[in-house]
Amino acid sequence: MKTTEFIEIAADLDNPYLQKWKAEGKKVVGYTCSYLPDEILHAVDLLPYRLRGINTTSTMIGDTYFGPFICSFPKCVLQLAGEGQYSFLDGAVITPGCDSMRRLDECWRKTGEDYPNSAPDFFHYFGVPHKIVDYSLDWFVDEIRDLINAVEKHFKVKLEEDRLRASITLYNNSRKLTAKLDQLRIQENTILSGSDALAVILAGTALPRETYNMLLEDFLNDVEGSKKESNGKKKIMLLGSVDDSIELMQTIEGERAVIVADNLCFGPRQNVNFVDESEDPIPALAKRYLQQSDCPRMFGLYKERLETVKNRVTEAKIDGVILQNIRFCDLHGSENGLLERDLEAAGIPCLKLEREYGPMVETGRIKMRLDAFMERLDK
Amino acid sequence: MRKEIMEYDLDWTLWSMMSNASKLSNSTDKELAYLLKYMPTFSELPALFSAFGEAGTTFFEMAGTYLNNILTARERGKKTAITTFCLSPAILYAMDVVPVTLELLTVMATVMWERGTADYLDFCIEAGFTETSCSSQRGSLGAYLAGLGVDIDFIVNDSPGVCDTNANAFAFTAAYLDKPFFQLNMPSDLTSKRATDYHRKDFKAMINFIEDQTGTKLDQDKLREILEEVKIQEELIGEIEELQMLTPNPSPVEFSFLVYSTRFLFSGSKEGTKGLRVLLEQIRENAAKGISGLSGGVEKSRALFCYIDHYTTDMRFWKMLNKNGVTHLGNILGRSWYEDSPLPQHQGNKDESFSIDTSNMEAMIDTMGAINARMPMIKSIRGPYDNPHMWLDDNLALAKMYNVDFIVYSGTPGCRNTWGMVKLFARDTEKQGYPTHLMYSDAFDDRVESWETTQSRFEEFLQVRRLV
Amino acid sequence: MIITGGCDVGSLTSKGVLIRDNRVIGSEIIKSKVKPQNSADAVMSAVLEKCGLGRDDVHYWIGTGYGRDKIDFVGETLSEIACHGKGAKWLMPKARTVIDIGGQDAKTFKIDENGKVERFITNDKCASGTGRFLEVMARVLGLEMEEMGRLSAQAEFPITFAASCTVWAQADAIKYLNSGYNIEDIAAGINNAMANRVAVLVSTIKAEKEICMTGGVAKNAGVVNALEKLIGQKIRRIRRQDPQLAGAIGAALYAGEKLKQEKPI
Repeated sequence: MKTTEFIEIAADLDNPYLQKWKAEGKKVVGYTCSYLPDEILHAVDLLPYRLRGINTTSTMIGDTYFGPFICSFPKCVLQLAGEGQYSFLDGAVITPGCDSMRRLDECWRKTGEDYPNSAPDFFHYFGVPHKIVDYSLDWFVDEIRDLINAVEKHFKVKLEEDRLRASITLYNNSRKLTAKLDQLRIQENTILSGSDALAVILAGTALPRETYNMLLEDFLNDVEGSKKESNGKKKIMLLGSVDDSIELMQTIEGERAVIVADNLCFGPRQNVNFVDESEDPIPALAKRYLQQSDCPRMFGLYKERLETVKNRVTEAKIDGVILQNIRFCDLHGSENGLLERDLEAAGIPCLKLEREYGPMVETGRIKMRLDAFMERLDK
Repeated sequence: MRKEIMEYDLDWTLWSMMSNASKLSNSTDKELAYLLKYMPTFSELPALFSAFGEAGTTFFEMAGTYLNNILTARERGKKTAITTFCLSPAILYAMDVVPVTLELLTVMATVMWERGTADYLDFCIEAGFTETSCSSQRGSLGAYLAGLGVDIDFIVNDSPGVCDTNANAFAFTAAYLDKPFFQLNMPSDLTSKRATDYHRKDFKAMINFIEDQTGTKLDQDKLREILEEVKIQEELIGEIEELQMLTPNPSPVEFSFLVYSTRFLFSGSKEGTKGLRVLLEQIRENAAKGISGLSGGVEKSRALFCYIDHYTTDMRFWKMLNKNGVTHLGNILGRSWYEDSPLPQHQGNKDESFSIDTSNMEAMIDTMGAINARMPMIKSIRGPYDNPHMWLDDNLALAKMYNVDFIVYSGTPGCRNTWGMVKLFARDTEKQGYPTHLMYSDAFDDRVESWETTQSRFEEFLQVRRLV
Repeated sequence: MIITGGCDVGSLTSKGVLIRDNRVIGSEIIKSKVKPQNSADAVMSAVLEKCGLGRDDVHYWIGTGYGRDKIDFVGETLSEIACHGKGAKWLMPKARTVIDIGGQDAKTFKIDENGKVERFITNDKCASGTGRFLEVMARVLGLEMEEMGRLSAQAEFPITFAASCTVWAQADAIKYLNSGYNIEDIAAGINNAMANRVAVLVSTIKAEKEICMTGGVAKNAGVVNALEKLIGQKIRRIRRQDPQLAGAIGAALYAGEKLKQEKPI
């Protein structure tokens, strides 16, 4: 497996493996947030598919339902749904990742009333708490059970414990492979650009997991011997709002930089913690998924996140940190303000960047900032 | 921030203004006019006194006391907590903590000053906060981030699950000022047993947190006293809401603002009860005479505000309503969910409302938790807008009960939550026959849309939809 | 004698500067054309003609600004932040903080004793607070940019403008004009709104003395005065050359350093 193939898969909503899956009469369920345990869907033979908003040419439909002061990511997802591009979905699970994302629930349902075949039959709201304590964990366990019940009822399936355990093992294997990928990125003179690494991870969000693990393993075996190309490039860590744009990563990397680490929710971060296979599967999943403090939706955990970033900066020998946020993303936007203050104080150069999700139409504006930042790192 | 602004603490300045304003009621018209030269941008002040007499004075006294409590908390050995209007201050009063409710301070400054809170709003951005974040917190938060206010001991917030931008403001503050932080989480439904159990556990955890911060245990007698006062207040508000159903509505347009402000300032405290009694008295008088509370005396149209009001300079929003003969039938901030109040009575679902049980400590904590779970926004915009007991349900019921002619959304561009669903909401209310106007302005910052534009769009709506 | 050139192709205007022996021997400012290459060619030809020089007389060009990657005659390119830093240092040797308002961006940055940029911040996505904002508003009022500054000094009751959105502010300006408000008060309101947006950036970076302002907006006294009031510090006026040329001057200076085999930046 070559990077180009992952890039091809990542560049489209649809891919040959997905088509084959559908041709076999199997179902696909879309979801919006890294706090949803894929294993649950996988264990009942549903393909968990992470929703994206790529390749939009307008947000006319998105803007019809959402108000003007809303993040462009859910607007783009809704746009694609309204255009019928998500017609391969058999279900959708919406999570309160943030306010803009959770209102995708209503906006999508209403779009479904106006545009035929734009909303799947199965809609489920998956309530993830914003803190990590014993009773919020209990709540989350119940949410998982609710999701299971809803899925079982709608798709007429039964979740068997041994199937769930097998899914957990499969996804844990996937995490081991992603951790390897991650290690490759932070090596001296890394062979992997950030945009390539993103493509590899994005492909994983749209492929059957068994297939993905195989492809990823192949890829890792092949890539380890390849030529090292990033000599002398500035090592960048990318933080902030949801980002699945290979083009944005390429713009940032340009000729002179390589993104070797990130904490993005489409990044490797959701693959680094393992589900405890010795525990009861559902509580084990609950712990693994709720106890991710990476996203600022988990309020009050800024210090933990700062520590994680600082450790990563040291480990990956980062030259500069880029803090980006989609306009109206207050969670990441303001956290970026805190990170800039604290990282700069620790001598780590930072660049704050506000952008839109969707087609890159403001390359000039972004490039001006990036160039000046690179010149600063050259000093 | 401008140098001259850095010379004054926000809470002190507001206190000085409010407490002095409350004394002005004893002045002659001439004296008042003279003093107003020093407050040229708050021309509504005399109107508040002359039209409402005691109601105006009492309100300023109350605000002065609230601010004085903040200023003197330290010397009285009390802790201060930055908090939100979504959290009932009653529990803080019961635990001897002085609430510093950001949105209240923002509104006070926004209403009184022509420049509004521009300097504080912008200082938040200097501190790293996003300019797209909600202005209702930023308007006063900037002062506390800049050190222009009393020292704060800790932060309590209850909007996670309801409003991210709100929750985020408090989480940011905790990180920026390095203060202890507690958040209550709200599940997306209100009435299930699961949600109730979660509220209970969460609320108890908050009490434990506050006890740790203050070093004192929640006192049963004090809690009972507060809850009994809450009950009296909710009954008063219930009666006000009942009277507002009359045609014409005997309540002056400004009173719904004064009612919810009073509850935000002093829920469960004697001061608040006094304030509400004064308001109710005047509404009763008008009702007995069968007259409208509008300054022009003629009610041309009845408006329900589905979210909040508009607070920039000089109470001009209410002035505009008076001018156009539009009566104000309340908004999301004022509604009472006490079991005997009109809306819960009309809805007839016991789980949706709260009752007050002071028989023992457990029951009282549960009561307090239930009240808190029904605070503005917390109650009705936690879940999908079209779910039972949520935003649409509440407003359609109110529209019917209050015989409203139209519905208005006023909010802020910082509100991801409502802007994520208000277009759908408006579509549904229009379908039900209620013309619905969406205001694109920022209720706390007229630099977003000038007031002149806001007003002309509002009046255009009234004309085009033949509402006046 | 070595002659170097700086070509700054911005979104609204393009600037060309020639430097010999650390002195500006010619400069030109033109309105930008649709294609950056055409703007660059036009401004280069104009400045060469002014100095009576031919293309081959200039030893090295450096390009900067939005269109810099599309200029074929430059030896290399640098970001406009770097060039404005360098240019500001040349224009005002004691400068440590530079405020540069360009057509699409407002930037504030700190420079070291060599004019190298230490830290910078820029405006958010929104166009308000940029040169574009003023241009749109000036057009509504039928004024030149410099007139806006002059007129706003005569304002008695500046209007408070909604500054968060260029489009809305434009609608407001039209309404005020139609309602018969004084043009001076409207102009002052616009300048104040602009200054408000920029002041946030200046305060965020914690400006140090001396503060100077580059870019075309530096010529609008209304904005500069309002900004001084807001940040509570004096902004030193650039007199040595037109402040709008700072980026092109910086580029030409870097070109000179390049020829001296000094590593640029």
